[in-house]
Amino acid sequence: MVNYLIVLFAVTLVYFASAERLIIYTRLVGLQGLLLCGIAIFELKEVNTANLIFIAFESLVFKAILIPYLLARIINRSGVTKVHHLAMPGFYSLILSIFALLISVILANSLVNSFVNTIYMTIALFTMFTGLLIIVTHKLIISHLIGFLIIENAVFLFSLAIGNKMPMMINVGILLDIFVGVLILGFFGLRLKPHTNELTMLKD
Amino acid sequence: MIIAIVLFKNKTVTKIVTISFVLLHIWLTLHCWTNLNKTELGYFTFNSLGVLLLSVLSFLTIPTVYHGFIYALKDDTKKYDIYHSALIALMTFMTGAYLANGMTVLWIFVEATTLAVAALIYHDRTEMALEATWKYVFICSTGIALAYLGILFLGFIYGRDDAANLSFASLINIINLANPLYLKIAFVFVLIGFSTKMGLFPMHTVTIDAHSVAPPPISALISTTLMNVGFLAIFRVYTLFASSSILHFMNNVLILSGLLSLLVAAGYMLKANHLKRMLAYSSLENMGLVAIAVGVGGYGYYAALLLLVLHSLTKSGLFYQMGQLSRVLHTFKLDECGKYMQIYPAGALVLLLGMVCILAIPPSGLFVSEFMIFKGLVLKDKWFVLITVIILLCFVIYAMSTRIMHILFSNSRIEGDSKAPEMVNPVESVSQFVLLGIVIIMCFYQPPFLVNLINQSFALLPK
Repeated sequence: MVNYLIVLFAVTLVYFASAERLIIYTRLVGLQGLLLCGIAIFELKEVNTANLIFIAFESLVFKAILIPYLLARIINRSGVTKVHHLAMPGFYSLILSIFALLISVILANSLVNSFVNTIYMTIALFTMFTGLLIIVTHKLIISHLIGFLIIENAVFLFSLAIGNKMPMMINVGILLDIFVGVLILGFFGLRLKPHTNELTMLKD
Repeated sequence: MIIAIVLFKNKTVTKIVTISFVLLHIWLTLHCWTNLNKTELGYFTFNSLGVLLLSVLSFLTIPTVYHGFIYALKDDTKKYDIYHSALIALMTFMTGAYLANGMTVLWIFVEATTLAVAALIYHDRTEMALEATWKYVFICSTGIALAYLGILFLGFIYGRDDAANLSFASLINIINLANPLYLKIAFVFVLIGFSTKMGLFPMHTVTIDAHSVAPPPISALISTTLMNVGFLAIFRVYTLFASSSILHFMNNVLILSGLLSLLVAAGYMLKANHLKRMLAYSSLENMGLVAIAVGVGGYGYYAALLLLVLHSLTKSGLFYQMGQLSRVLHTFKLDECGKYMQIYPAGALVLLLGMVCILAIPPSGLFVSEFMIFKGLVLKDKWFVLITVIILLCFVIYAMSTRIMHILFSNSRIEGDSKAPEMVNPVESVSQFVLLGIVIIMCFYQPPFLVNLINQSFALLPK
């Protein structure tokens, strides 16, 4: 069951690469949160019940509900619905995304570990590359934010991979989620003025 | 203490609380000195490198708080309280990071510093401050996430049925059994992630904007002690992996990162028009040299740690002076500055001495550390690196010296109406003279306790 959820997670990443509407990004972020919640519930069999409930609750509430809600609010405030016209077109993004998947497969097979599932490693690496790709190829602050959220999901996925042996690593990963959700989205996302879509004031 | 500031909402109470914090911090540092290598509360160990950098932080809290009181004098109570609360929080988190004895605890404290610094960078509430804060928070968060990935890779190496402990003491025993590819990936992620704090290439851009926009006393702190936090995190992982087969790989990566940092610093300093940005690029240059020193090894280890300490003292002195310069000349822009020696001789002398010290011109103590780096490069036959470093440093010396000389002796390049210079009490520059004086003395004499502490910090590394 976990493998199906992980593969579905990978499909959302491919969709990220090709989409150009910000509302699609928001929905995909919410969907990824749901999938991660499911992966956590099915994967973490050896963790104590209270900790598991906390992890599932956090991924459901923060990742699947709160963060997409805050993102939607920021998008509504800024009035921007599409990615920047200078951002890399979806077609080329898709090609780069496929390359990223190939590199992830090669790397994951080189990093064979006795207690980490290779699919976990592959998709987690792919998630990280997708997040970095979005940050590098897009121009808007909101796009960069979404790229960062994807990297965060990669971190969460990696931490789930060793969650049974080291549950504290997941809790520390959750700290990162709360940090992002509260500080970046809750404070800055709502303070940045609608026209501040690009950062151009500070330069040499 | 922060609760007291929030509850009382009174500037006098805030001042008292802040001064109490400084005294407490100094007491903690002395406690660490008398209990070296002891572990307390399970997560904190008073090891040599942590205590060395903690001492530097403790020493700099005094002038930082003093200049902070002057800087924030005209702020309303709310802004004043936020400034000092965030400053106390920042220094606490940095202390936690210095003394942490495990990767996860270290990471948590480093992440927490991002929160505190964000509040401080945004102190002036301008559009530029908002942009700088946003960039800082975003890029640091990305870096911290990448650093955590590196720590997770350490977890992959360690993960077994026994205790899930990522303390340095437990990791050092199993590193030689790990897959070298895992170690390389972990090191690269940790280097990239913590380079946001250390201000090293490739994530150096965040520190440039932050240092140029933050209040000068905060710039002094974050361009020195916070960069030391980033260095500490990278150095801890480097020390852990040094006994493995990837030492050569790590050294090459550090030298490459250092060279690229120097290249970027030299290039941008040549076109810098904002004084604080120029000093920020100078910090990038010095961190590049530190990375090269660690990568060289041998003499380089001592040189790196000495350079860190002396850079902290010098750069903070320069940034404190920037605060006074902006009050006197009402600007940080190079084109609008001029005749500083005539208007405010005490400050001008600080700038002149500071320039000599930071450029490692004798009698600066930085000359000793950079000389040792060159010596290490020659002994390891790294001639290309040596020649490149020397050429880039020439650019840096030219860029900084021409700018400082212009500020001190030339007329402003912008003609027309300008605000009359404000008079600043020369007594405010005393702290900067003390800091620079220490740096100059260190060129001729390094106290035995400091030498021993630095030597103990890299005792586990191969000679």
